[in-house]
Amino acid sequence: MGKMMILNGSPRAPRSNSKQYAQIFSEKYESETEYYNISKNNHLELCEKMAGFSHVLLVFPLYADAIPVTLLHFLKTLEQHPPITKPVISVLINCGFLEYQQNEIAVEMIRLFCRQNGYRFGSVLKIGSGEAILGTPFRFLVVKKIKKLAVSIATGKYKTLHVTMPLPRRMFIAASTRYWTEYGRKNGITKEQMETMQIEQ
Amino acid sequence: MKLILSDKPLKIDRKNDDTITFIDLSALNISNCIGCFGCWTKTPGKCVIRDDATMVYPKIAASDHLLYVSRIKYGGYDTVMKTMLERAIPVQQAFIRMVNGETHHVQRAVVPKKAVILAYGEISEEEQELFRRLITRNAHNMNFESYHVRFCTEDAVDETVNSEVEKWEK
Repeated sequence: MGKMMILNGSPRAPRSNSKQYAQIFSEKYESETEYYNISKNNHLELCEKMAGFSHVLLVFPLYADAIPVTLLHFLKTLEQHPPITKPVISVLINCGFLEYQQNEIAVEMIRLFCRQNGYRFGSVLKIGSGEAILGTPFRFLVVKKIKKLAVSIATGKYKTLHVTMPLPRRMFIAASTRYWTEYGRKNGITKEQMETMQIEQ
Repeated sequence: MKLILSDKPLKIDRKNDDTITFIDLSALNISNCIGCFGCWTKTPGKCVIRDDATMVYPKIAASDHLLYVSRIKYGGYDTVMKTMLERAIPVQQAFIRMVNGETHHVQRAVVPKKAVILAYGEISEEEQELFRRLITRNAHNMNFESYHVRFCTEDAVDETVNSEVEKWEK
């Protein structure tokens, strides 16, 4: 079991769902973890630190069907400044859609990065309905899967895992509509205002 | 409207077609999306970051013919184009609907598009395949009614763009 570097690649890292997923992972991983947000200015520092870890977990949301540009920038720096010993890279990704499968392209992008740059690829957890699931009674399903992810990495028996809300799509859409309507209401914006078809007008 | 969105300057032979708008993203000031959901829940349809992206995404929404030109990285768009695409989410609502059996965001006034995606660079077969899969996903989220993916080296970008523009002019 090796020391784990957790990197949060969310554009809103300090107040992101990814941060909460990373926190749960830290609790379930039985060895030492260190957590870092990827920011605009700390890429080289993170590349240097990486040499001290046998494992890296990239935690990030799906953005426009792919990896967020925050993470993309970091990977390009890492490509130029690789650590002397390369860690095993695992992925914990979430998207707001019900289908965890929508995360697959982003996972493949990380796998490709690993192949192109000589990193061993480890485990994956793909989360669907990831924007809201931690605040629902289905939270325990995510916690359970994150524990499985942690065990798979710790034991070197790498796996691809997934989890989402066990809801029919119609119910998920109704629940997400309530979620977003409430989100807008807290900002003083009505559902009708949120539904505007106008763009920059 | 016909829109060419590129991550590098291009030499385009536009002949007499005034309906083509060309935007060189590398010449603009566009910062990263911060994931604040402001464009969905505070100022719907408008990004709270008031930089050059606010001029670009309305044009993406209004175009019926679209040509994206981007360097490819790890099987996806490189950073310049990806930054813009992430900043284009004001064209969608927070609300979810069904598209082709999957959940996706509701679009605002986004015109259905005939899209051509031109990816350039030294691109392996594996990377091409992944990029094609990405564009298939983009088609659901970006209202492409049809799309065509092309690959070329950086040297051949102008020539390839002009061949696509010629097809638009026919």
